[in-house]
Parts: sequence; structure tokens; C-alpha cells
Amino acid sequence: MQVVVGVADMRISKQSEQVVITHALGSCIGVAIYDPLVKVGGLLHFMLPDSSLDVEKSRENPCMFADTGIPRLFRECYRLGAVKHRMQVKVAGGSQVLGGPEHFNIGRRNYAALRKIFLKNNVLIDNEDVGGVKARTMYLEIATGRVWVKIIGQNQTIKAL
Amino acid sequence: MSLVPQVLRSLKNLPPFPMVAQRTLLLLNKPEVSIQELVEVVKFDPAITANILRISNSAYFGLRREIHSLQQALLLLGTQELLKIVIASGATRLFSAPTPGYFSERQGLWRHSVSCALMVDLLCRELSLPDHATGFTAGLMHDIGKVVLSLFVEQKFHEIMEVVEQQGVSFQAAEKIILGVDHAEMGGEMARMWDFPDRLRLAITYHHLDKPEAYTDDLILLVYLADILVLMFGQDLGSDGLAYTGYPEVLRHFHLRERNLQKILLEFGSAWGEAQIFFGLMGQKDGIQRANRG
Repeated sequence: MQVVVGVADMRISKQSEQVVITHALGSCIGVAIYDPLVKVGGLLHFMLPDSSLDVEKSRENPCMFADTGIPRLFRECYRLGAVKHRMQVKVAGGSQVLGGPEHFNIGRRNYAALRKIFLKNNVLIDNEDVGGVKARTMYLEIATGRVWVKIIGQNQTIKAL
Repeated sequence: MSLVPQVLRSLKNLPPFPMVAQRTLLLLNKPEVSIQELVEVVKFDPAITANILRISNSAYFGLRREIHSLQQALLLLGTQELLKIVIASGATRLFSAPTPGYFSERQGLWRHSVSCALMVDLLCRELSLPDHATGFTAGLMHDIGKVVLSLFVEQKFHEIMEVVEQQGVSFQAAEKIILGVDHAEMGGEMARMWDFPDRLRLAITYHHLDKPEAYTDDLILLVYLADILVLMFGQDLGSDGLAYTGYPEVLRHFHLRERNLQKILLEFGSAWGEAQIFFGLMGQKDGIQRANRG
């Protein structure tokens, strides 16, 4: 069964029949984390790097921003029995339009914000597929922790993370 | 081998632009549109009237009272909003064919087009530009060329993508290299055949800013920027992904910094949620057929 994560949204699950999916990441980033021992996983789709942009909105919906969404994602998984040092962490998205790096670079900033939060908290990224001009759909299979991305295009290339 | 003659031949089968939408486009050119004129155009089309009532009562407008009649909708929403609804209802039929060269989802192009129209609206508000139905319409129609070019892009997708990846050019530039014509030019040609107002036709033709003429009208720059922002937002992305060029001079022109863009994306997230009713217009087969009667 597929459970869809919208923009600025997250889903946590320990139901083995579920595949958590988020569609068409552009500059946004999808973060999938999974504890293989208790088989608890979560997928976050955040939009923007930093909640200082609009603190009120970040309180209404922490999933909009990297700095409020990522801690929430981990906490929610811990509540279901996941443990930090066992977490597998996969990241996808953060695409950019063409042109110089100085403008329209929300995708890069999203990625930078995520890396900073992970570094501060000693979280390692196990695998990632970020940047470029591609549109990606991201999947997390709760039974196995398998994560893959589909590159949107004619062949719908599938890449395991 | 150029596909241009083949592509142009396929235009011979172009369906007519829906009558009601056509008449409404002409109203866009007038500085003032009276409620009576608009009623005259739409009143004989029950499907469009039904859409007007549905959309007027949706979360998108958030009106407190329920609207039961066309007159009442016009009075509460004003002519500009009504023009947008009428054009969106009328245009659905043109987007009803799948465009597998660009989107695997049948409604992909429609959803992208509506998103772009909504983004133009939002930019107009953010930039305190007059919120005119022309902008919305240009956003809605900017990629109409993809309807026809899809077939050819589908055949040559790998060659086009190879050019994008190896030369680092935009998807549109690669279309031009491989097919001899790109979706923006194609849309411009269709707009000519449909007798669209000039401003609208030029916004379609130049929406990727690949010619100096593009800079003659803010409308074109707005449609360009809206398109780029919608691609960044994601959701209804096609096989061309984000392979279009970001031009910083457009941001400077509108005095926009990156923080402004972030705010706009944040706003758009909410507007997009409330506007689902527009996406749903495509679902009504009956409404689409009727909209073409005129």
C-alpha cells in the first residue's frame, strides 16, 4: 500500500505493507530514515532551508523547513522505538535550474542546511541523489528499508539508494 | 534531418479554440469589462456557469456566503477573477490529450499550466502589479505548444536529453537543435492560428527568454519567472525536469532577492493547496465538451 507524503509533509510508519512515497521533488528535499532492527521508517519532504523566514508558519507546519522538519522526523521515529545510531539515512532532491550558482539556488541551500544539521548532530548520510536538473520521486519500503528514486523522464529510470 | 515540415503539418489538425474562451480572450484587451458583457458571453454555456459557481464557492476564494447565481458571483468576485475562471474552464479541452513526451500523468501538463497561472497571480500580488486576468491566462497557456510537440519529443527524447546533458543547454534549446522547432515557438504558432491577442501570443513565444524581444514586456518576464518558480516547487514536474535557465537579471528587474523567492514559494504552497478545484476542472468530461459549444 502506498502512503503519499505531500509538499512540506512527513509520514512515519512501522507497518510492513506500506511504501511511503513523495512525488516530483524539485528544489525540495526528501529525507528517508529507517531503523532496520525495529523496522520503523519516516520520510520528510521539506521545502525551504530555514524557519527564520516565517516562524509562525514553521510552528503551524514544521515540515516546511529543514531546521524544524528534520529534528521532528527523527523524534517521531524515536517515539516508535527507532534508535539514532541504527538509523539509515538517505537523501534525494535539491535540484536547480541551469545558470550560475548565485541565483535561484534554493535547491543548494536546502542541501547545505540539511548537511549542517546532520554534521551538528553526528548524523551520516548513507546514500544520496541530489542536485542537477532532474525531477525525482522518492520511495521508502517499510518492510525492508529499501529506498529508491525514480528519475522522471521517459524511461522512468530507477536508482536504488 | 529536420522534423519541422512534419511538425507543422500536424498543426493542420489543431482543434479550434473553444468559442466561449475565445470571446473571453477578446474581453482581456478591453480596459473595462462590464458585468453585463461577461454574462452575455457565458450565460448560454451551462458547463461554464456551473464551473463558475463551483470555483466561486471553493476554498480558493474563501467567501463566507454561498453563491447561487452568475450575477452574484460576478458582483462578489469582480470581472478579473471571473475572466480567469471562464478561460480556465474553456481551456481544459485543449489540455485533455495526454502529452507523454513530457508527462507520464495524463493531466500533467494541465496541472503544470494551472500552477503557473496561479504563480503569476501570486507574483502580481507580491510585486504590487495590477492583478490582471491577462497574466493568469498567459501562465495557463504558456506551454500549450507541448500539446503538439509532445509526439515528436517522445520520438526523440533520448537525443534531446543527450544534448541537454552534454552541452548543458536548456531542454527548449535542445528541442530546437534536435527537432528544428521548440515548444515555445510551437505555442506561438498555435496562438497565431487561434487569433490570440498579440501580448498573449508573444508571452507564449518568448516565455523562456531566448530572444531579446522577450524583454519588451513585463508580462513575458512574469510568466518566465512563474514557470521557473513552479519548477522549483516541484510536484507536477515533467521529463524536462528543471532543465531551464535561471536569469538573475529578471530578479534584479523585479527587485527580488532570494529571500523573497523563498517567501513566494512558501505562499505558493498554501495557494496551491486551496486551488485544487482548478486542477479538478479537467475531470469533468461533460463540462469539457460543452465548453466548446459557444
